[in-house]
Amino acid sequence: MLTAKTILLAYHGTEGAKRAEALAYEIISREGGRIVHLLIVPEDVWVGMQGDDWLNNASTRDTYGSYVEGVLEKDAAEQVAVVEAHCKQHGLAYTPILRLGDPADCVIAAAREEKVDLVVIGPPRSKKESGLRSRMELDTLGRGLPVPYVVACGE
Amino acid sequence: MIYTKKSPALVIIGIVMMLWGWLNASGTIDGLQSTLQKSAFSDHTKVNEKFQAELRVATEIAQSEGKPAPEMKKPESKFDHAKALQTKFGYLFGGAFVLIGLFILSWKPSAGNLDYYISTVPGMALILLIAFVVRWGLDPMFGNWGKAVKAAGILSWDFAKIFNLNYVVMGILAGIVIVNVFKIPGWAANGVRTARLFLKTGVILLGTLYSAAELAQLGLLSVVMIGVFVLGSVWLTLLMGRRMKCPNSMTGVLSAGLGVCGVSATVAASPVVQAKSGEIAYTIGTILLWGVGCMFIFPTVGHILGMGPVQFGAWAGTGILNSAQVAGAALAFDPHGIETLKVAEIFNITRVLFLPIIVLWLAAWFVKHEESAVKVNLGEVLVAKFPLFVLGFIAMFALSSTGAFAPAGHYAGKYFSSAEVKESNLLKPKEIRALEAELPKMETPAETTALQGLIANRKIMTREDSQALKSAAKIKGLDELAKGAIANAQKAAKHDSKVIKNFRDWLAWLFSFGLIGLGMQITVASIKQAGGKPLIIGSVVGTLKAVGSLVVVLMFVKEFV
Repeated sequence: MLTAKTILLAYHGTEGAKRAEALAYEIISREGGRIVHLLIVPEDVWVGMQGDDWLNNASTRDTYGSYVEGVLEKDAAEQVAVVEAHCKQHGLAYTPILRLGDPADCVIAAAREEKVDLVVIGPPRSKKESGLRSRMELDTLGRGLPVPYVVACGE
Repeated sequence: MIYTKKSPALVIIGIVMMLWGWLNASGTIDGLQSTLQKSAFSDHTKVNEKFQAELRVATEIAQSEGKPAPEMKKPESKFDHAKALQTKFGYLFGGAFVLIGLFILSWKPSAGNLDYYISTVPGMALILLIAFVVRWGLDPMFGNWGKAVKAAGILSWDFAKIFNLNYVVMGILAGIVIVNVFKIPGWAANGVRTARLFLKTGVILLGTLYSAAELAQLGLLSVVMIGVFVLGSVWLTLLMGRRMKCPNSMTGVLSAGLGVCGVSATVAASPVVQAKSGEIAYTIGTILLWGVGCMFIFPTVGHILGMGPVQFGAWAGTGILNSAQVAGAALAFDPHGIETLKVAEIFNITRVLFLPIIVLWLAAWFVKHEESAVKVNLGEVLVAKFPLFVLGFIAMFALSSTGAFAPAGHYAGKYFSSAEVKESNLLKPKEIRALEAELPKMETPAETTALQGLIANRKIMTREDSQALKSAAKIKGLDELAKGAIANAQKAAKHDSKVIKNFRDWLAWLFSFGLIGLGMQITVASIKQAGGKPLIIGSVVGTLKAVGSLVVVLMFVKEFV
């Protein structure tokens, strides 16, 4: 049976991420372990959030920028609260990390920095499911990760 | 924070520009230029031949009189003018960029305004370089290919014309390709953001080119059209969003984007309707998908339907969801004049003036439907969302109306002046005889007087005569030679206003620069976010708006300006 002491969990509240979270709790060592919760704000989506707006005044753009940052911060805080509470229930240590960038690059960098034993992610989102379309490049992940990774596939 | 990135890129761009200037000045690339600028080169050959012939005759006359050969100045052809412009721009901007680039490499920046302003120069240089390549290289190249393919019988139509492959469309495409394929380099990021400043400057300067009558007519038309279609599409989106059970925040942000001015309205309305990040991304994706698609489709449809500048400007200004693509479509439709752009920008300005009203409407709607909604302050919204650059546009219009830039009659680009008719353009005796024979056919005293004046002076003397002769030329059964003579006299009395021509050239550069920069802010990743219910609603509203405004324009809008 696969087991690990420190697991990096890429979780942002989607159905796939919830499956990844459940799988992480199954895999993690019973003698106590640590969940490194990685939240990613995909850079390409973030950069595109102002599109080609040109008509607004600087004050409107500033208001909008602060608003979007606030929304992302709030989303992140909600996800952190959920996983932190679950970790507490399972008696696990918890480390949240928030990163801006390409999803696969962020996972690779966080896995190296936090010296995790295993990475657990959700499967690619089905096209029917709503949410951001930024995809995790599994090929990049496979070539760059220093540790094994598991994709929580299934229904 | 230090914004200036140390990179040799600016120096390299400067050297490339200066090299291009030198290649033009030295004549090294005359072969390439003659291929790119075929019509200008053909004019150049004619001017040269005429000059050589005149010089030969003058020399022979001088020799026969025992005088030294005369010194004659060769007149500048269109080809010479184009090369001189490229040389001037190459040296001027290239030199400035090399100097600033060397300064950046040797300078230790400290946080402050100077650092921020200097950090924008490399990005602006990159956009300008792309503008040079597109305007002086790709635009004529595709134009030549389109004609060549048609002449060779491969296609029965000119693909470059049909697909509007001119400097505007290719500039925007170049921007989109660069950001999506190569990414914007760090040293250029700040400068690319200045694109919106140049577009706004273009709109402000455009204010100089309207007459009061034109502005009043277009203003009224735009208020009616935008009023109906903006309010209609906001209402339809709100209705569809409720029916399709979209969250209120999603419906609210989508209705602003689809209804008013696209991405800019999305940015302005998102905080008011408390849109979530995913909802904003969906809305921007849908709008960009539609906007970019319409920018290519609208001009082609406009040409097929034989629309004029007012009709097309009104249609694009109303039917295209995103305001940035309105300017792009107008210039794509009419890249070498700015009549369409003038109409389209009035519509854009009207749209943005509607924005604070729509934001307030959505705020009230959101408060009514959402318990967690926060009430907004009416005065704050109106002040914060008021587009300040519109004041600049109005100020420029007011200044130009006082004749500050050019005489009042010059605003249309051409003006009437009898005194400036060249000797060589006076009517020939043969034409005068043809006109004398047609005198009895004149239908009004004004036409008779005008024709008599033309016969006596060999040129049109007054603006009133010019108007009378316009209707005289339409009299049935008028001799073709006489008709031609009137047309020649009209042409000889109309002159290009140099000031307005320069204004138009600068405007074309400003819009070209701005649109390339905005193209660099359209990412495929943003467009890929389009999907689900927002895309369905966007497709319905976008199609209804485009088709509905086309029908209204074709039925009710005439080329009256």
